[in-house]
Amino acid sequence: MGPPHARTSGTGCLPTLRGVSKLESSPPPQMNPPVRREPRPPSVSGLLVAAVKENWRRLRTMRTALWLLGVLALESIVATVVPQEINVPQTVADWRSGEAGPGEAVATVLDAIGAFDVYASPLFLMTLLLLFTSLTACLLPRIKAWWRITRHSVPPLTRHIGDQEHVEQITTDLAPDAAHATARGFLADRGWRTRDGDLGDRGTQVAGEKGVVLREGGSLLFHLSFYVLLVAIVFGQLLTFEGFVGVTEGESFTDTEIGYWIADPGRWFGPEDHSGFQLTNDEFRVEWFRDPQFGGTPRTFEADVTIETAEGDVREATVKGNSPVVVDGFKIHLLGWGYAPRVVVREGRDVVFDGFLATTVNDNGAFRGAVKAPAAEPDVGLDVFLIPYAPEGDDGQPVITGAPWADAPLLVFRSYTGDLQLSAAQNVNTLNTELLTEGPRGGLRLGQVVELPDSDVTVEFAELRRWTNFQVSSRPQVPWLLLGSALLLLGLLPALYAYRRRLWVGVERSADGRTLVTVAGRAFQRPQAFEEEFAELADDLRAALDAPDLTPAARDEVAPR
Amino acid sequence: MTSAELSRFLFSPMTLVLYLASAILYLRAMAAPKLDAVDGKHDGSGAASLRWATGLAILGVVAHLAHVVVRIEASGRLPLGNMFEFSSIIALTTVLGGLLVIQWKMRRPELMGFVMLGAELTLVLSLLLYSDPAPLQPILDTWWRAIHVTTIVISFGIFSLGAIFNALHLLRDTAESRVAAQAGSSFGPNTVGAAQAPPTDEDADADQTLDSVPSRVEADVVDIDEADQDAAYRAALREVLTQRVAGVRAPWTILGGVALVTLVFSLIWWDPMVSVQMVGTMAALTLVAWWAVPYLPSATTLDSLTYRTIAFSFPLWTFAVITGAMWAEQSWGRFWGWDPKETSSFVTWVAYAGYLHARATRGVKGRRASWLGLVAYGVLLFTYYAVNLLIVGLHSYGGIDQTVG
Repeated sequence: MGPPHARTSGTGCLPTLRGVSKLESSPPPQMNPPVRREPRPPSVSGLLVAAVKENWRRLRTMRTALWLLGVLALESIVATVVPQEINVPQTVADWRSGEAGPGEAVATVLDAIGAFDVYASPLFLMTLLLLFTSLTACLLPRIKAWWRITRHSVPPLTRHIGDQEHVEQITTDLAPDAAHATARGFLADRGWRTRDGDLGDRGTQVAGEKGVVLREGGSLLFHLSFYVLLVAIVFGQLLTFEGFVGVTEGESFTDTEIGYWIADPGRWFGPEDHSGFQLTNDEFRVEWFRDPQFGGTPRTFEADVTIETAEGDVREATVKGNSPVVVDGFKIHLLGWGYAPRVVVREGRDVVFDGFLATTVNDNGAFRGAVKAPAAEPDVGLDVFLIPYAPEGDDGQPVITGAPWADAPLLVFRSYTGDLQLSAAQNVNTLNTELLTEGPRGGLRLGQVVELPDSDVTVEFAELRRWTNFQVSSRPQVPWLLLGSALLLLGLLPALYAYRRRLWVGVERSADGRTLVTVAGRAFQRPQAFEEEFAELADDLRAALDAPDLTPAARDEVAPR
Repeated sequence: MTSAELSRFLFSPMTLVLYLASAILYLRAMAAPKLDAVDGKHDGSGAASLRWATGLAILGVVAHLAHVVVRIEASGRLPLGNMFEFSSIIALTTVLGGLLVIQWKMRRPELMGFVMLGAELTLVLSLLLYSDPAPLQPILDTWWRAIHVTTIVISFGIFSLGAIFNALHLLRDTAESRVAAQAGSSFGPNTVGAAQAPPTDEDADADQTLDSVPSRVEADVVDIDEADQDAAYRAALREVLTQRVAGVRAPWTILGGVALVTLVFSLIWWDPMVSVQMVGTMAALTLVAWWAVPYLPSATTLDSLTYRTIAFSFPLWTFAVITGAMWAEQSWGRFWGWDPKETSSFVTWVAYAGYLHARATRGVKGRRASWLGLVAYGVLLFTYYAVNLLIVGLHSYGGIDQTVG
């Protein structure tokens, strides 16, 4: 029987399987005369079923799939052009406030449609859902059809062997039966599905087909791999953990729920899933190319760390840009670094602040941080800039450069007094100057102490270390994603390069008593590739039919027969 | 001469001049009369031009390779670290792909002129981003880069070939269908008109998918006794493209459009001189393509070539995106973060997947699929140029703002 989807295939998503075994399998038109029936009045449930069926059919069409792909692409382009909250939260904040971007009004609209977080927006999730529904609707009948073909399909015979795209004739001295058997064996050995037929006075025929299972199978595998990827991504989102923490040289942190600066656990990742290892940042090394031409390009970038697991095993390791360290299934990446100047602030003889600032580099090559000393009366705040390389010029004044190496570090600051407003959340490296009044500025070299004029507050630049930004992550989904990607590629190659082709070998007795073998072929895809294959097949078949077992002398004996 | 100067000299003028000269000769060979074209070979002056063009193209490749080798010597690394180097290797891939596959394997030297022009354009654009050989940031210094970036760049080069064929297909197809609509029966199906004959009875022959070439008659191969009719057909092909649109002949419309676009470009973007040059080049290319329409292979052939090129490159791109994700997992600690570059490479993938699906579907006809292919290439260009130069992300390795410390 013909495949049931053949009727809808004109608009459907079945590019390759149409009309399989059409030639011989569809019954002659008169065999099943149509039965006339009175049209039944449509019932409500019938209409509903019809509507669902119609929409399901429409969802299955390639046109719908293409539109959905287009919408997906469009949304992604929006995500490329509009800053995304997950990547650059500061830029998004600037867009919202109107400081950057197209202005506040546009930003409000963008916010309303979820353009600042496209990949979590309902619109995107809806597109994805529809796309997968459409894919499922499209794949189910294709899998069924493919399964049937894999098991039952045999190629049709042809009555028009001479009209095919490629035709070649071979004359042989083998008997027709032997030639037929040879041709059949020849095709079967090469992996063709075959069928024999007797065309009566037009001799016998072997039909062969190849490539249909592989090509369509590849395409199905390619599309099915998306489900693997989807499942891996969804479960990954739930099971994943990602945390960031900055560690100054000589200090350490412990992997616990509260051990991180920023922690982003998935919904199914609980506090008990932390492994509790302790990481000590022994030394962070960074070196640059120092010649004027490429100055500032870093050459090495690595941190020596000591890791003690919860069980008490201690090991040393080096974390580099491209080589993370794995502890108990947690991957530790080196993401960034900064200078960590130790600043001591005293009010009279009381120490009101003593700590390492985790400064971050700005566009000018200066490292910015902040001192917040609420213990002072009133609060003292320092806006701190560390200039790593500020050698003294001819006039004795420091020359500010943008070079990152700390050969002549200079710490400059603006002092503030007033209310730091520490009860509200704020960036650790910036001051909220709303309720602060700006005081004197100062600059000091390593080891120096300065006293702020008109007060008993002193500032000391006591020490200079570096801090390292580590990312700790656990992603159980990665092997599954790799599997999905591998299946995707594995399916894609045959889906594009395998091709379906048919070959017919007709055998009949020619007028002069010899055997005439006609080879004909046709490709459904990649005609150029088939052209070469056909020529080769015809040559090989000719060689096979030439009865290679026979010596030339023996063949001469056979010939006169 | 320092190695930096030598590398620059080998690139510009050497490679640029050789490629351009070769492109011009290829175009001349394409336009030469093809009386003896039954076996696909050209005679007389065309053959001589073709030999010279091929020679110059090979010399250009040698100069280009020498430039690459000098750069490797000078920087001690694979020359795939900034945008200039990417563009250079993309163009090299395009030229090599053209020479090896299009000219020698498929015997379509008439397309090589445009292949060389495409490469030349890529290289001239890369000159705007020129940077001397420099060492690499440590984060890029890994064998992941070799795999990921090399695949991306090769795939880009092949997509560029596909885009050239795609654009030529649309042009030729427009001309062919207009001639067919106008002339009706005056160009019989026994000659070049075969290309416009609808593919043999599509509905009856439903198994035939679109990527097979329906007709066995090569429309651009012509017998001697049909030469006159052929000449008339060629003239008509060009003529229909210069039809008056709203009373203005096409070349003037093109020039007017170019002037307008140039104005807009220089108002909103970039250095006006650069826009003028860019738009001028595009206009020149358009005119060359218009002039070349009669000599191009048939629309059917071009369509099939486009499909095959893109179908070849798509798995490469897929592989490159996957390795990119693997590298990101290794280097940045996440496999996919919707960084602008990641996003747009995904969009490119989706767009080309759309093209391939459209080609595999009967419901979407050839021309629409072709437009989709061009859109996909536009997205690819956006991914490369706009995302690298205008949008800040983790992939900001363009190498343009290398400030001196």
